[in-house]
Amino acid sequence: MRELPGSTELTGSTNLITHYSLEHAYNKFCGKKVKEKLSNFLPDLPGMIDLPGSHDNSSLRSLIEKPPILGGSFNPITGTMLAGFRLHTGPLPEQCRLMHIQPPKKKNKQKHKQSRTQDPVPPETPSDSDHKKKKKKKEEDPERKRKKKEKKKKKNRHSPEHPGMGSSQASSSSSLR
Amino acid sequence: MAEKFDHLEEHLEKFVENIRQLGIIVSDFQPSSQAGLNQKLNFIVTGLQDIDKCRQQLHDITVPLEVFEYIDQGRNPQLYTKECLERALAKNEQVKGKIDTMKR
Repeated sequence: MRELPGSTELTGSTNLITHYSLEHAYNKFCGKKVKEKLSNFLPDLPGMIDLPGSHDNSSLRSLIEKPPILGGSFNPITGTMLAGFRLHTGPLPEQCRLMHIQPPKKKNKQKHKQSRTQDPVPPETPSDSDHKKKKKKKEEDPERKRKKKEKKKKKNRHSPEHPGMGSSQASSSSSLR
Repeated sequence: MAEKFDHLEEHLEKFVENIRQLGIIVSDFQPSSQAGLNQKLNFIVTGLQDIDKCRQQLHDITVPLEVFEYIDQGRNPQLYTKECLERALAKNEQVKGKIDTMKR
């Protein structure tokens, strides 16, 4: 006969997220919407990083499958070696220029400290902001008045003091008696 | 523990920025830019040395291979963490249901 497994306090019936104090992580990743693109995780990284790595042979998978041959230590480049890096003057050919193209950065609606320093939003002139506020107020006032009037009419119809349907019915009922 | 990640992150950011500036110099090269180019090339070497030094502190860190799949597809790696948590919770609830029915 088989031996019964030993009893443990921790089983599948326990909420493992609270047991391992992962509530904060759960709320952070599952409570809010996590953005899809890699550029949302690394907004400051230059280049087109949202493209698949297989397009330009820059995938991490290829790095794992074919790791580069590591030599010894990293040594500074000496004067004679630097001679090999003497370049021709002038712009790069068009084939290589694409590397500097970055995807257009969307302006976040939320105000962050970093975005304020990088993308200064021109402040609204006081005349414009006041004019807009005044327009809004003007548009709201006639609508408010209409609603108030309608409410008043409804109240008056149903009140006993108002000479209308209610009082005429009362008078007719009294005459039948 | 967060400090060693911060150091690595700092070195990587500096390295990437150096490479970006190198790309700008090379995109429209002028003879007067040669000295700057040589300096940036040596910064690449020192940057790699700094990153290599960080490796010793992080030898015990393991990263799941599935995260690399997300990065290679241009997707946010936090989605992997989210999906792991969701799967763990779903499995937890499934097992709890089984245990509760067995107890009845």
